[in-house]
Amino acid sequence: MKKLAATTLLLAGLAAGANAADPVIYTTNPVPAVEAAQAVIKEKAGLTTGIITGGSGVLLRRIEAEKAAPQGDVFWSSSANTMGAFKDVLEPYSSPELANVPADLRVADDYFQPANLHVVTVMVNTDQLDGAPAPADWKDLADPVWKGRIILPDPANSSTGYTIVWGLSKLLDAETYKALVGNLVVSSSSSAVPKGVAMGEYAVGLTFETNSYSYVDGGQTEIAIVYPSSGTFTTPEYSALVKGAPAGDDARKAIDALLSKEAQTELLKVAFRRPSRTDIKVSDYVKLPELSSIKVFKIDEEEAARSRDAFLAEWAALPKAGSSE
Amino acid sequence: MNHSALRTPWPWLSALALALLGVFVLYPLLYIFTASFAGEGRSGWLQLLEDRRSLEAIGNTLVLACVVTLFATLIGVPLAYVSARYRFRGKLFITLLPLITLVIPEVVTAQTWLMILGNNGVITRFLKGYGILIPSFYGWFGLITSMSFIYYTYVYIGTVAAIGKFDAQLEEAAQSLGTPPVRARLHVMLPVIRPAILASALLVFTMVVGNFAISTILGHNLPLLSVAIYQAAVAEGATNLTMQSTLASTSVLIVMAVLFVNRRIIAKGRYEIVQGRGAKPQPLKGAQGLLVSAAAGIVVAVSLLPLVTIAVGAFTVSRGPVMRWGEWTLDNMARVFITAPGPLVNSIVYAGIATVISVCFSTLVSYLVVKKPNLMTPVIDYVSAIPLALSGTVLGVGLLASFNGGFLALTGTSTIIVLAYVVRRMPFGMRNGQAILHNIPNSIEEASISLGSPPLRTFLRVVLPMMLPAVASAAILTWTTTVSELSASLLVYSGGRETLPIQIFRLIDSGLMAYASAYGLVLVAVILVPVVVATTVFKVDLFASK
Repeated sequence: MKKLAATTLLLAGLAAGANAADPVIYTTNPVPAVEAAQAVIKEKAGLTTGIITGGSGVLLRRIEAEKAAPQGDVFWSSSANTMGAFKDVLEPYSSPELANVPADLRVADDYFQPANLHVVTVMVNTDQLDGAPAPADWKDLADPVWKGRIILPDPANSSTGYTIVWGLSKLLDAETYKALVGNLVVSSSSSAVPKGVAMGEYAVGLTFETNSYSYVDGGQTEIAIVYPSSGTFTTPEYSALVKGAPAGDDARKAIDALLSKEAQTELLKVAFRRPSRTDIKVSDYVKLPELSSIKVFKIDEEEAARSRDAFLAEWAALPKAGSSE
Repeated sequence: MNHSALRTPWPWLSALALALLGVFVLYPLLYIFTASFAGEGRSGWLQLLEDRRSLEAIGNTLVLACVVTLFATLIGVPLAYVSARYRFRGKLFITLLPLITLVIPEVVTAQTWLMILGNNGVITRFLKGYGILIPSFYGWFGLITSMSFIYYTYVYIGTVAAIGKFDAQLEEAAQSLGTPPVRARLHVMLPVIRPAILASALLVFTMVVGNFAISTILGHNLPLLSVAIYQAAVAEGATNLTMQSTLASTSVLIVMAVLFVNRRIIAKGRYEIVQGRGAKPQPLKGAQGLLVSAAAGIVVAVSLLPLVTIAVGAFTVSRGPVMRWGEWTLDNMARVFITAPGPLVNSIVYAGIATVISVCFSTLVSYLVVKKPNLMTPVIDYVSAIPLALSGTVLGVGLLASFNGGFLALTGTSTIIVLAYVVRRMPFGMRNGQAILHNIPNSIEEASISLGSPPLRTFLRVVLPMMLPAVASAAILTWTTTVSELSASLLVYSGGRETLPIQIFRLIDSGLMAYASAYGLVLVAVILVPVVVATTVFKVDLFASK
């Protein structure tokens, strides 16, 4: 009985010992990016951070579910489209670091803070081409030879996937768009896309350059990155402050640190995140092209967010190559 | 209950045990059952009937469980048969099987299978060179293959003892009465070992229903029940429970139905071997021996493959997600111990505390149930077995929902992780403790009491020392299964409280196999060290109660 009492005490001690004030970051980012960010936050703000990882929709819905008693402090990161629907559980924060971010990336009231800029790439495994010519543009991927060999993250669950198919629906004519969608395999997990291409499970993956470049940087020579010649899509990713964040001011400090030049440089070097700041030259650190040399097809993010439900319903009705069943 | 009984500590301890079980086992279970009916808006069951994907998930899970159970039995029973009845080269290897399943994290197993049989796997590429195309490993093919090769060990463990105890004279008798050898074996031996086979097969069935790690990695877009529960739980959070609780209840009902069938079958056909003389293993020589060695060897080698992969991966140079096979480094290990030791420390602390609590509780409670029966003890016995019917995901959902706020807010604490561990693994200790207590005669205890020693002191000084070997083996089994627990802790953990399996799961998801392998190898060591120390230094028999 004494033993029982002692362990109960120990348990209580454990629960109390956890520092409640440490900011907790809900993040969609992979481990290396998260660790780089944690290191900079520790160095710049002296804060130890807790991490919960998951998909953007999943984490935002969790923040919404916890709104009576928030468990998280900072959300990092997703597109404005996805985050727009959750404004009532987030809180605007005009971080002083935003002075170094171009105005066209910022959102009204600084509800979210631009953390980095994603560029959509076509990730190709040249060992898996099986004689087909490497694609150079979107319309090449509409060829039936690619049926079932292109993987993309599920637009319903992933902002990456949504950005890609929304952009494609605007860039391509209806017929090519339909043919291309017919070749796609939808993956419920975004991280399975670059992994699937790198392991040769799929010949082509539609994913952000941060993911595809990590394999090129790793020295996997059969991986090629294609920036489609008719233009690709970019989307800024944002961090946000959770409304009623239990860490209070420390949560704001964590966001400042996330947006700092140090953090963005580190994230570029470690996780190949194109910075949202203008004072970092990408090619100084990694072998990625400067943004000015990439052809970008502008998409209207607001319209994309507004038409989300209707677009996803249309998307769901289109025939695809499969969902790997 | 008379007045004098109340003066002993036992009724009070029974009440306390029942109260604890009520709060931490019954309450969460009832909570999710009620939430499935009384969620916001329409009942979860009505929504479920209209949700094609969820229904598909339930159907797929049942089919998968049936097929895997069949394959696991087809691999496990013959393997148990040859190893119980014959001697052949490399037999020692097969005795390692039980340890393999306890030691290798399922996430690692799934990933290893992908490296071998995935679209770009070693074998896939080899066969492709000869123009043979095998189906995609994601989905049915991968799930059935990898689960069959994990769960056959449970069938093996469950049947090998039964076959070993089978009296070979019965078989000889049948033969001397004119039955041909093969038929003699089928007709005489099968009925005797059938309960053991069925019981382990049904155990496999429930484990497949509850499996989360492999389902989520290899299932890809094939809807499965445990993955659906996890996704619903993460998406709905702790405030709206409708869908997660409905799906979780479905899982519980499936497993309970299976356990019910199990009881019926075992109660029906039980043959007792009277004064059985187990058959002496016969040596197998020549071509036959070689064939058996080779077949058994392949099965064991395939089960060991993930272990080899992580051992190599843990010391392989990597850059980001790219592995540089053939270049060696200690960096990955340095990371586990120096740069990011959090998961290691968390795992040891949480699993250590959980093991202590779980063993103390189960020892005391099994003593109450076996030796100090009162009105409460049958209920205690029954309730403490309930966690066997809960998969990790279901338990995680129940605990998160029940202790999110209200009278006991545990969300976001370390306590809820330890609690999940204790509830999930406590039945192991219970089974162990009860088995040994039935063998300790009451007269010893009565002698001690009649010599004037008070009941509690008698328990601590006389009964407990006799239980110690069983308690030690229960502690080790609890430790090994707790350290590798993923599915319940993945739901209830909070930032900074990652354990080794959670960290491995996250790293594999990020594609960082080298780091994942390093954490995996350390996890294997954390599991194995106590097992090796206990079995060699303290001579604990791990399967003492079986």
